Amino acid sequence: MDFTFTEDQLLFQDSVRDFLVNEVTPQRIRALWDTDSGRDDALWQQLAALGLTGLTVSEEFGGLGMNELDFVLLAQEAGYVALPEPLVQTAMVAVPLLSSIGGDLAAEWLPKVAAGEARVVVGLAQNRLVEDAHVAGLILLQRGGDLIAVTPDQVSLRHNDSVDPSRRLFMVDASKATAVAEGDRAALLVGAALNRGALACAAQALGLAQRMIDMSVQYTSERQQFGKPVGSFQAVKHHMANVAVRLEYAKAPTHRAAYAIANRQAIASQAVSHAKLVACEAANLAAKNSHQVHGAMGYTWEVDLHLFMKKAWALANSWGDAGFHKSRIGERIFADGADLGAGATFS
Amino acid sequence: MKLSFSPEDERFREEVADWLKDNLTGDFEQLKYRGGPGDEHMYPEERKVWERVLAAGGWTCVGWPMEYGGRACSIEQQVIFFEEYARAGAPGRVGHIGEGLTGPTIIAFGSEEQKKKYLPGIVAGTELWCQGYSEPGAGSDLANVKTKARFDEARGKWLISGQKVWTSLAHESDFCFVIARTDPDSVAHKGLGFFLVKMHQPGILVRPIEQITGTSEFNEVFFDEAECDAEDIVGAPGDGWKVAMGLLGFERGVSTLGQQMAFQNEFDQVVLAARENGAAQDPVIRQRIARAHTELKIMRYNAMRMLSGQSGSDGGLQKEALIYKLYWASWHRSLGELAMDVLGPECEILSDGPYELSRLQSLYLFVRADTIYGGTNQIQRNIIAERGLGMPKEPRGTL
Repeated sequence: MDFTFTEDQLLFQDSVRDFLVNEVTPQRIRALWDTDSGRDDALWQQLAALGLTGLTVSEEFGGLGMNELDFVLLAQEAGYVALPEPLVQTAMVAVPLLSSIGGDLAAEWLPKVAAGEARVVVGLAQNRLVEDAHVAGLILLQRGGDLIAVTPDQVSLRHNDSVDPSRRLFMVDASKATAVAEGDRAALLVGAALNRGALACAAQALGLAQRMIDMSVQYTSERQQFGKPVGSFQAVKHHMANVAVRLEYAKAPTHRAAYAIANRQAIASQAVSHAKLVACEAANLAAKNSHQVHGAMGYTWEVDLHLFMKKAWALANSWGDAGFHKSRIGERIFADGADLGAGATFS
Repeated sequence: MKLSFSPEDERFREEVADWLKDNLTGDFEQLKYRGGPGDEHMYPEERKVWERVLAAGGWTCVGWPMEYGGRACSIEQQVIFFEEYARAGAPGRVGHIGEGLTGPTIIAFGSEEQKKKYLPGIVAGTELWCQGYSEPGAGSDLANVKTKARFDEARGKWLISGQKVWTSLAHESDFCFVIARTDPDSVAHKGLGFFLVKMHQPGILVRPIEQITGTSEFNEVFFDEAECDAEDIVGAPGDGWKVAMGLLGFERGVSTLGQQMAFQNEFDQVVLAARENGAAQDPVIRQRIARAHTELKIMRYNAMRMLSGQSGSDGGLQKEALIYKLYWASWHRSLGELAMDVLGPECEILSDGPYELSRLQSLYLFVRADTIYGGTNQIQRNIIAERGLGMPKEPRGTL
């Protein structure tokens, strides 16, 4: 039994954090709001050069051949900067799905993803709208009981504005397409993709919560009222303590879920639902309490808090909302013969 | 990361399970699922016998080094031991303060002589301990200790005078570790000593505190020149706070596992009650049960994470210890509330006169203590914010 990450995994996290914090600043995010695509090809190239777009692509196709457990800490860092690029969805959802589909499709697209030449996105019925379909070279879509793969020339897109100006969401109409998976196989692939998408949300939510805590600690240490930093008042600091506890305790379930997926454990669905619930709750509580301790300033467009708050809000309702994930956990607990007792630490 | 146990560890699991199956029988049957937190007043004599049987089987202090009478079990094996102990429904341990707190403290800070004198009795399950920290004027302000220790040259002993309060199981204990002021002119955490004191002596009076449950497991303990041998101070006079804080670290280590397993058994009881009376069909109750389950799972995962030694190294709070108390206490309090809501209107009906509570009723009442003792939720939040997050400190009067 070992509930720790390796030295290499932690070092990789550190270097990715350094890169992202330097490159993906709130100023850069705001500048992208005013562009047509809202995406930054130069940044995508940099991410590819760091090996991040191909991190979960097998070595055969030019990637690093790593898994969800290797990526989960990096996804947290992507959340920490509210990265607008679809990196996490690519590495955690699109690439594993393409790899599972296999064949010519995987052989054609995985090398392009690893090289940063193409973005591949996934649209499941659960989400209705597809993120970043406008910049995708390939879209994998759930349609009825099938899974289809379409290229931009085969679809029409309708943009839906999001309350988070960084998110670009599209209704995708695919005129004609051939299924890449059908029936039980498609259901299996869709289920796995949904789990990965939810895990991706959970991991990013951890980063978002951390960012909002950091901003709030800094702000309340500087802002003075009654001759003291407002952060010295218990009524203020207890708000942040509550967030810190939720965040710290959302990490283990998230890492446990990544482990379950990477090791193809039967418990993966429940582990993911647990992670998604608690991580998104932590991020939403971070947003709520951070707004409170920022006072009136947090309500302004100028202060960056809302960048992170809106992303957390959106993630909580994507890839299965709280109701969906709660009911998946409930089903397990109330299943006949569920093994939950004192002996079941990891089941 | 490897979230499973090795075949070797699974064999150890069988060994533990088999031993418990063979021994938790006969007179001990009645002890199953008894004597945990909030139920410690039940079957004290029978549980003392059980403690010795456990010791004879080599199942006390399993994580201690061999040289001190332990079994030197790995973390994995300790996890498994606690899992199987709880799964068998084996009773709350009368020796848990000695095994979980006193022993590790003596091993870490004590003299060779203290180790020889006190560890064997803990391992054998024959000497029980209680802890003397809180005082009437030292609750949240724990360092405001007024109990004094004066070294009497003539008798060659420390003489301790003052009062401790909220002392769990003082009436069942043979020894107490006591924080007392060795330097009468000192304030706060300076000038304290950490003493190992025999309970059965004329200078000590134990008075039970009747709790809202109608039972008594907490006590007031009065010291009137109670004697303590010169060599029974742990560390030097003035080191008491350091030793006491070290002890708190042990409280938050492996010993949390046993607590979590006991929580698991309580949770299972609540689920059982909900299934039996149909409350499990109520969607609101279902969601609350699901939440309680996920939060308990979080505590268990985090214990594993902490024991694997990496809590906080991935950008989080540096010390798991800072947040655990607040989390488990709040969880346990909610579990008590959930239990009552599962029972519905019948939750107020006593099992029997004159004031006999059902297990779940007693849980509901006892959990009111959880968010207070060992540092209130409010104190915990201060610590988390100031030490964990680095927020500005509050001005304090005495420090």
